[in-house]
Amino acid sequence: MPPKGKAAGKSKASDTPNPSPPTAPSLPLRPTTTTTTTTTTTNNNNPTTKPATVLARSQTRYDAARLRASKNAAPPAFSPADQSLRLATRIAARLARRPSDAAAAAAAALGGAKTRKEAWRAVNEGSVPLRAVVDPRARWAAGDEGRRTAEVSEVGVEVGVDLSERRLARKWRLGCLAVQSRRFLELRGSGGVGDGEVEAEICRRREMAALRAELYGAAVGGGGRLAVDPEWDDVVPVVLEEPEGALAAIQYSEDYAEAMAYLRAVMQAKEYSPRCLRLTEHIIGLNPAHYTVWLYRAANVLALKLPILDEIEWLNGVALQNLKNYQIWHHRHLLVDNYYPSIADDRDAVAQFAASERVFVRDILAEDTKNYHVWSYRSYLVEKLGMWDDAEELASVAALVDSDVRNNSAWSHRFFLVFSNPAHATPGVAATEADPKVPQAVVDREVEYAKSKIVLAPQNQSGWNYLRGVLVKGARTLASVEELAGSFVTGLGEGEEAEDVLSTHALDLLAEIYAEKGDKEKAELCLVRLGQKWDRIRLGYWEWRRKSLEVPA
Amino acid sequence: MADTEPALDIARHLKYWKMCLQHPLPNHYLSNEGNRVALAYFIINSIAILTPPPAGDADPPQTKPLIPAADRPRLRQWVLSHQHPGGGFAASSSLVFPLQGYEPWEPETGAAQDVEGPGLANLPATVFALHLLALLADEGDGAGAFRGVDRVQLLRWLRRLQRADGSFGEVLKRLPGRGWFIGGGNDMRYCYIAASVRWMLRGDLEEGQVGWVEDFDTDALARYILMTQTYDGGFAGSSQEEPHAGYAYCAISALSLLDRPLETTTTTPSHHSTTLRSGIRNLPGLLHWLTSRQFTYLDPDSPLAARDAPSSPDDDNDDDDNDDPINFLLPVHPGALAPPAARRHVACNGRANKVADTCYTWWVGASLIGLGAPQLVDWPAARRFLLDRMAHRIGGFSKYPGGPPDVYHGCFGLTALAVMGEAGLHAVDAALAVPVGTVRVIEKARAALVRRDRGRGAGLVSGAVALGVAMRGREPGWLRAVERG
Repeated sequence: MPPKGKAAGKSKASDTPNPSPPTAPSLPLRPTTTTTTTTTTTNNNNPTTKPATVLARSQTRYDAARLRASKNAAPPAFSPADQSLRLATRIAARLARRPSDAAAAAAAALGGAKTRKEAWRAVNEGSVPLRAVVDPRARWAAGDEGRRTAEVSEVGVEVGVDLSERRLARKWRLGCLAVQSRRFLELRGSGGVGDGEVEAEICRRREMAALRAELYGAAVGGGGRLAVDPEWDDVVPVVLEEPEGALAAIQYSEDYAEAMAYLRAVMQAKEYSPRCLRLTEHIIGLNPAHYTVWLYRAANVLALKLPILDEIEWLNGVALQNLKNYQIWHHRHLLVDNYYPSIADDRDAVAQFAASERVFVRDILAEDTKNYHVWSYRSYLVEKLGMWDDAEELASVAALVDSDVRNNSAWSHRFFLVFSNPAHATPGVAATEADPKVPQAVVDREVEYAKSKIVLAPQNQSGWNYLRGVLVKGARTLASVEELAGSFVTGLGEGEEAEDVLSTHALDLLAEIYAEKGDKEKAELCLVRLGQKWDRIRLGYWEWRRKSLEVPA
Repeated sequence: MADTEPALDIARHLKYWKMCLQHPLPNHYLSNEGNRVALAYFIINSIAILTPPPAGDADPPQTKPLIPAADRPRLRQWVLSHQHPGGGFAASSSLVFPLQGYEPWEPETGAAQDVEGPGLANLPATVFALHLLALLADEGDGAGAFRGVDRVQLLRWLRRLQRADGSFGEVLKRLPGRGWFIGGGNDMRYCYIAASVRWMLRGDLEEGQVGWVEDFDTDALARYILMTQTYDGGFAGSSQEEPHAGYAYCAISALSLLDRPLETTTTTPSHHSTTLRSGIRNLPGLLHWLTSRQFTYLDPDSPLAARDAPSSPDDDNDDDDNDDPINFLLPVHPGALAPPAARRHVACNGRANKVADTCYTWWVGASLIGLGAPQLVDWPAARRFLLDRMAHRIGGFSKYPGGPPDVYHGCFGLTALAVMGEAGLHAVDAALAVPVGTVRVIEKARAALVRRDRGRGAGLVSGAVALGVAMRGREPGWLRAVERG
């Protein structure tokens, strides 16, 4: 009853010999649908089982399998009848968590054909999504391989798939490999496997996965990078169960789905271990933007008390490959927060660390000079490591402005570096406010700096904004730069021929200067000409400014 | 002249969103796999904007709605499946664990303060989830939209995301040996979202009433936000960073939401926030900076464009944050920058001297509307730019001219047009970024949730307490301590 429509169709497709290459399956991940169907289509009439003893034998096997699974041993091959009973039990267990379905659960727990019917009825009535009743282990746990092999091959027999000689040979090979693989597990159980044997096992599992994919279709899987790695045998991956009505699903690779399933398992177990660290690296390689993975990685680094500098070095490589990714910068931020206390008392060590970080930041900025996250991180570094009076820092930012005078990020960093310097900045004074403690010499220097850059590119708003900001900080009047602003405007209001404006920002500033001086008429002229001719797209703004002139400030 | 104005092809945009709704998103969205709830919001919000309720006595639309009424409960269920037992919502289905994974979690006993569940609730995901629930409310049943949301637990969790400086992070995570860590950098987006979630859920319960949750420190948040205004008038993630139009929007909207009335009483969706108007240190500077984000967009082959464009590495165009320099061309001379008003295209950038991007028309436009100064935007030219240069022929909007559409820019292209009053679109609330009709739903849903929380307390908790007190004869000391709590 339950398996119908698309899912059933899919199952059949995977039962027939599949010519697709054994590696890198690229199906969008809805794997469990197939699994469900396979499980349920094997319910009846399996010629290899002896009906008389099915129930008792199945129960024994099922219990034994659970016991073994809990001891990391490979469970035996399950017959379809076992499968169905197991499914029923699982459903029962699931429903038992919901009090209203207790009756259905009790019925399901009784077993037998009636059980299945009952169970499915309960599933349907409770609208439990089909995928949710599938054992995640059916897909990726290496220990379940034998069971899956047996199960699928029995389906093959049942629907009468023609077993050619070639196909038969492959099945034999797969069987032999499975035996060897179990031998490996037994050996390991008694503690006696070396690196060579592990390597051999990885190769073996790959071959098995390839054979299975060839025999039964790529969707059967089990050949993922982690599933074939004996290191992960004891982890039962927590496979994503998409309910009906899922929005914004993304097509992604089997690799990614597998890795996430293992990640979910170790996160749930709160495991912090070297293999978890490697797992996060693997996932970050697939999707560097997953903040949870980064946070989990940080937790691992801290839990394992790994040298933070090693992690930073590893991160350097990742960052260069993923320039736009901001999770990397949060991670780095967190690492530095945790590293800094260990060197805080050693001035040389701090200076050395600051220098090496600057080199790294410089390299990254060379790739993208306006990367917001890098600049954020840079300002954090300045504050954390006290790089305020570090001449190199100011020089490095000046060099970026020299190479692109419109790099507003560099301008912003300069303002922060100069005017937030605790040597002279008053704590709590906002960036938009005058700070009497800032030495006039510093204000002079910055005014001259801005002027020298404005001359190079008069229509560059970065320079003008900076100049205004400096004047406010130094509590100076706008009129102190009237001469500069006026030099970019000639013949204002003297007719189309005579009037020329090389910088709308200069004209804008002049309007404010005139207003500041109380010369409303001239201020108005500037604003009118901006709106009429020189900066028409902001007509609304210039008009608003003009009206603001009426209102005394 | 009006005849030559480009038209918004609503049917085509709906077609694009139908594709996003009904099929898995292509693999290049993988980097957003950790933010699926946000992607869902972009999709559902766009569909809602494109399908406004029929006006007045007009006949209901003949075509089948893209999201049939029967599907709504199912979709809401999916959203609710992301709810974390410790409060808030997880950002992606891959971060939702089977229920038994949360067994050690005991939200009711307060152990949640110390025990961490396996998944992590995420602040942006939480606001998107709440918006989704409201967007997917059953027709005529706005009050039921938040049914299933654990309001109390969510608001408690929200408080814990606030840092000592008043700002907010996005996640709460226990780091081995370091205790609780508020993750997520200095990011104005989280401050905005915190204010938004608070407005959407907190309600008007007073201390002592059942269902009341202690507020986060709104003064500290406002102080933090106001302190991030930069020397040039904009707003940044923190006061030591470069101002950014997205952050300016977040700062402005957060301030306005902090004192926004719970119910919209006037016909206009924006309210006059005193926090906003009296708090901002340099309001003229902010208006100056925001209007300066607009620039005349020049096509690469425009004779007006100077060849010495600002230097910027020409990285590949597939990059999500593409900085293609031809996207920001400066004129040879300011006077040359004068295409006739009826033909010009006005784009917005997010920072000074940066490139045009669809979403900044929204961030800048909605910011100015939030400040009560919509007249500072050249709307017709901005609209022309979006429709002529950013709308894609298959529907949706792209990040940069000629680029492929994506759900993020597709959504904010529509919100930008809708907030401008584009005919045929559902009007959008500038501070909440959802249709005004959805804001009404949120208001009703909040009221219902608050009523329920209060009623539940009266019916169950206080009933049990009364019973206990009656049996014991007096109120135990610990209970008084809890009540004072």
